[in-house]
Amino acid sequence: MIKVRGLSKSFGDFQALRDVNINVPKSSVYGIVGPNGSGKTTLIKNIVGILIPDQGSITIGDIPVFDNPILKESIAYIPDDIYFFPQADLADMISFYRQVYPSFNDERLQKLIPIFPLDHHSPLRRFSRGMKKHAAFMLALCIMPRVLVLDEPMDGLDPVARRKVWSLVFQDVAERQTTVFISSHNLRELEDVCDCVGIMHKGEVVLERNLDELQNNIFKLQLAFRQDVPDLSHLTVLSQNQVGSVVHLVVRGEKEQIINQAAQLDSMMIDVLPLSLEEIFIHELGGMDYGISSTDI
Amino acid sequence: MIYIISVDLRNPKPIYEQVRDEIKNLIIRGVLEPDEKIPSVREMAQNLAINPNTIQKAYRDLEAQGFVYQVPGKGTFVQSRAPGQNPGKTEQLIAEITDRVRELIYLGVSKEEIKQVLEDL
Repeated sequence: MIKVRGLSKSFGDFQALRDVNINVPKSSVYGIVGPNGSGKTTLIKNIVGILIPDQGSITIGDIPVFDNPILKESIAYIPDDIYFFPQADLADMISFYRQVYPSFNDERLQKLIPIFPLDHHSPLRRFSRGMKKHAAFMLALCIMPRVLVLDEPMDGLDPVARRKVWSLVFQDVAERQTTVFISSHNLRELEDVCDCVGIMHKGEVVLERNLDELQNNIFKLQLAFRQDVPDLSHLTVLSQNQVGSVVHLVVRGEKEQIINQAAQLDSMMIDVLPLSLEEIFIHELGGMDYGISSTDI
Repeated sequence: MIYIISVDLRNPKPIYEQVRDEIKNLIIRGVLEPDEKIPSVREMAQNLAINPNTIQKAYRDLEAQGFVYQVPGKGTFVQSRAPGQNPGKTEQLIAEITDRVRELIYLGVSKEEIKQVLEDL
């Protein structure tokens, strides 16, 4: 649905994005993750057409995004720092959205009002960060978007609100095949909601994969040996660590395959466990200076 | 039905496996009966606040393993039980039970007590 090809973008001397390629399938929930400063927000601003690429192309449904108001009518974007007109209250913003977005749906608005209890006549600038987000989500969902782009979506939302919001977003994914593009630095959240993830580092996308492929290809393996640790070279070991007689390994491969390989060894126990997205992240970026190495203060 | 299924996000076990295995469990125990309709992907996504693609995956697995069948336009239903269907799976489960029984014996549980568990099922 969203295709980014060869995207590069610089601001003066600083190259924010370098030859970025992204593929977001229709009705998927795609998470772009990376450390602060890796280029996530710049990428998003290019995708929604706020910034012009220096090089490369961005299409949504095979149609180029930039300066394309008709296409943008079906894209809802919630930035990290939410903007409303300075004097506006929610009623004003609803009225504005209704005028600008032909697909604004009043039936949906009526359904969402009780879910997001907000004062429609109080200036939005007075709302707390979380309440502003509630308002932003309400407006975004009312336009019946084909594509929903969210920069740090859950920042500022309490757990109840988070669940409410995800429930609504997922309903749209299920019923209307809405495509969702999220950027986050919160791996815990992403691993619960995404189908695909892309990992950014210093302006490049270093890895893009379906979440379950990522998760099905690397496992923790715990073995225990009575005597010396035997030759483990038939396993693809990414890291190895021993505590007492227990050997802790991180191994590449599918679960069945690893169990079979481990069964060839004379181990007193075999435990195969999944890794969290954070742990996968660390191993996949192992060679890069991601800055995870411990720092002495 | 929805409230019988819950997903523990802190459990390292992948969400789609949790959904799949909980539904499977309900089917095996007879809580869900043959030809009973299970909630749609959309309903599950809405009630559990889980990605519908994840639920779709769980349903596909259940179908591949013969626990449910899908009727296009109507939904997903529990498959009726047919004995002797999956010898490989049977073998695997027997091996797992054997492991567990060994552990029970190691912990000092008598064979009589273990047999009683089987009787009580």
